[in-house]
Amino acid sequence: MRGQDDKPAGLSRRGLFLGAAALGGTIAAAGQAAETGKVAPDAMPDPDQRRYAFYGTGPQAGIATPPQQHLMAMAFDLTGTDPRALQVLLARWSASIGLMMEGQPVGPAEPDRDTATALETGEALGLGPAGLTVTVGLGPRVFSKEMGLAAKAPPHLRPLVDLPSDALRPEISGGDLSLQACADDPQVAYHAVRILARIAKRTGAATVRWTQLGFGRASAGAGQETPRNLFGYRDGTRNITTPGQFAQHVWVNDGPEWQHGGTYQVMRRIEMHIENWDNAQVSHQNDVFGRHKLTGAPLTGENEFDTPDFKAKNAEGEPVIPTHAHIRLSAHETNDGIRILRRGYNFTGGLNAVGRLDAGLFFISYQNDPAHFEALQRRLGASDLLNEYISHTGSGLFWVPPAAPKGSYIGAPLFAAV
Amino acid sequence: MNMSSRARRRAIPLLAASAFFAQPALADAPTNNGAAQVAITLTGDNGGACVLDHDSAAAGPITFTVTNESAPAISELELLSDSRILGEKENLAPGLPASSFTVTLDGGDYRIYCPGAAEDTVAFTVTGESKQRAQSAIGDLLDEGTAGYANYVEGMVGAMVTASERLAAKVDEGDVEGAKAAYAQARPFYERIEPDVEGFVLPGTDPTDNSGNLDYLIDMRASNLDPAVGWHGFHAVERDLFESGEITDETKAYAAELVKNVKMLADLSGGIEYRPEDLANGAAALLEEVQSGKISGEEEAYSHIDLVDFAANIEGAHQAFAFLEPGLKRIDPDVAETIAQRFADVQTMLEDYRDPDALGGYKIYDAELRKSDAVKLSRAIQMLQEPLSRIAEKVATAS
Repeated sequence: MRGQDDKPAGLSRRGLFLGAAALGGTIAAAGQAAETGKVAPDAMPDPDQRRYAFYGTGPQAGIATPPQQHLMAMAFDLTGTDPRALQVLLARWSASIGLMMEGQPVGPAEPDRDTATALETGEALGLGPAGLTVTVGLGPRVFSKEMGLAAKAPPHLRPLVDLPSDALRPEISGGDLSLQACADDPQVAYHAVRILARIAKRTGAATVRWTQLGFGRASAGAGQETPRNLFGYRDGTRNITTPGQFAQHVWVNDGPEWQHGGTYQVMRRIEMHIENWDNAQVSHQNDVFGRHKLTGAPLTGENEFDTPDFKAKNAEGEPVIPTHAHIRLSAHETNDGIRILRRGYNFTGGLNAVGRLDAGLFFISYQNDPAHFEALQRRLGASDLLNEYISHTGSGLFWVPPAAPKGSYIGAPLFAAV
Repeated sequence: MNMSSRARRRAIPLLAASAFFAQPALADAPTNNGAAQVAITLTGDNGGACVLDHDSAAAGPITFTVTNESAPAISELELLSDSRILGEKENLAPGLPASSFTVTLDGGDYRIYCPGAAEDTVAFTVTGESKQRAQSAIGDLLDEGTAGYANYVEGMVGAMVTASERLAAKVDEGDVEGAKAAYAQARPFYERIEPDVEGFVLPGTDPTDNSGNLDYLIDMRASNLDPAVGWHGFHAVERDLFESGEITDETKAYAAELVKNVKMLADLSGGIEYRPEDLANGAAALLEEVQSGKISGEEEAYSHIDLVDFAANIEGAHQAFAFLEPGLKRIDPDVAETIAQRFADVQTMLEDYRDPDALGGYKIYDAELRKSDAVKLSRAIQMLQEPLSRIAEKVATAS
């Protein structure tokens, strides 16, 4: 739980940025400005030059690192059951991600021989790393008997159970591999998944299943101001932020040692019925969330980070925060202390098939047991007031291995002899 | 290769790497298992480097064993003689086991090309003479392939003349159902060879004027209709047969003009000589046709026999590949096998769409089938396009 005391109001943005590094997100080149003494207008290093390390020990980047402005998510289906093909793909992906997170091309964009077809497509040349992180996840089928990798399966990996109110569409759900590419420049994020999809085709190991572009991060990392979702509400006020919370709720620390520092990734495409929402009275909107729209304060408080008082009653003896308000049903106080890291993005796909705005929240959560997400969503899906205004249409569960040390690749221990 | 691309071409510096790799002369690589053994290590040092443990070997079989130790930017390596690719390894990445290839080389100067390395070219010398002349064998195989392919194209053009005449005859009889069947039978011939025969401009007309563009006159679609030139060719007949279901005097005129133009195409295309890269580029262009015209259902907007065209595009691409395959197997057996397998995958997939009762033998590609299956069809083609797009260079530089 996050109280008023750890509210980041007093920190400068630089302080926040370096604070994030201390949290566990490795930042390789933090502050050029600090070295030269030159002070940028917002006392930040050039955002285009912000970069995170791909190689290392511990978790992959893109989970505890502060959410960037843009997301490009992509899921893939394996084309066969040859573990060698998957091994080649993961090794080539890793080597390429390592370069792209450094702001480097994956090869010559214009090879010396003009009859060559270049792997590097070139659209991100000169844009810098832009804080790119690409996080690789493995779906349940990777660990199937047919792949010969069942013995290496993470203990809690399996498809998500059916949840109340699910309206899932198979073509935007599931998948055997996931990529979460985040950057402060959408072109950098798009370039990354485009290259990685190209490598998948080249190796023949996997084909693209679904993809999602996200904008305007919809949750905060440590020290970031809480952003708003497309319903206009601050999203992620009570998110996981401290290393202790990450250790307790996010990182895997049981099972085989090589899996430690991994985590389970849930991706959900949540469509918002924007037009209906916009026509709802603001008092009703506040009741749905259990918060005030403008300040983000709970209905029982004054400020965003005030702890909600779920016992408070109004003059009529009704709970001030309604029984089925989103904030109440999702609170760790009412869920046996369960907490998950939320790292979502807003999305839009233009208009849907019936002429309404196609928009919503691309929800991404990380937790050390997918049952934790299921427990929360089972309650929300059953009775959340918000359900009138949303539909869960896409869903995926992936295990995210820990980072790779230099000279190796994501998931390498999978292919070591048992 | 045309002149403009030749002019843009930059020479690969022959000995660009000599300063960086200057080191005490090493002895010829040692021989083991009947082949000289050369180890190549890719490292991330100095911006990426490609390091050989021996920079020379005696003529004969030579095995190159490649390990990517720590070079994320280098994922492939080629052995070059002038600009010919004699051997290569792909999918190299740090952490993967070493992989090797063996080639038989004559005495001479060679280069190891490692795109992505700071110094991307390393000299390699072969001393003495080998008994086997591997390269001319590859060139001969490719030449046989292009000659065989030229016969194939000629056969298709001849069959198209006959099929168009049959279509025109049915139209003249006013037999709508017979004409529809004849239309479906005539279409595949053009779709198998389109990239080879689409470039002809009638004498005396401006290349930008569609009234002189034989491909336009034979195969224009509703989606690329030039109002100044109007309806012509196969799809004009298709529209009348399948949209209104009526044969008019105008329909008969379209069919007669189609026969005239197909015969002209047969005259113009006879005796074309192909280079190996023409076959590779043609095959790639046919797959692009599948993606842009057939999967979208744009090609056969009235008859919906797009899957008939789809199968013909694939067959044509497969033929072009098959004529290159014996040479390509010598140049790069891995890629030859990959492409052969992916063609087989696509052809297996197409079996599910066969329908002996439908026009042309494949299911009608209506809005419903497009909605349910377009993504699957597109993905299968993409998996084939990616490796196929790279063989033009391999065969162009080998012969």
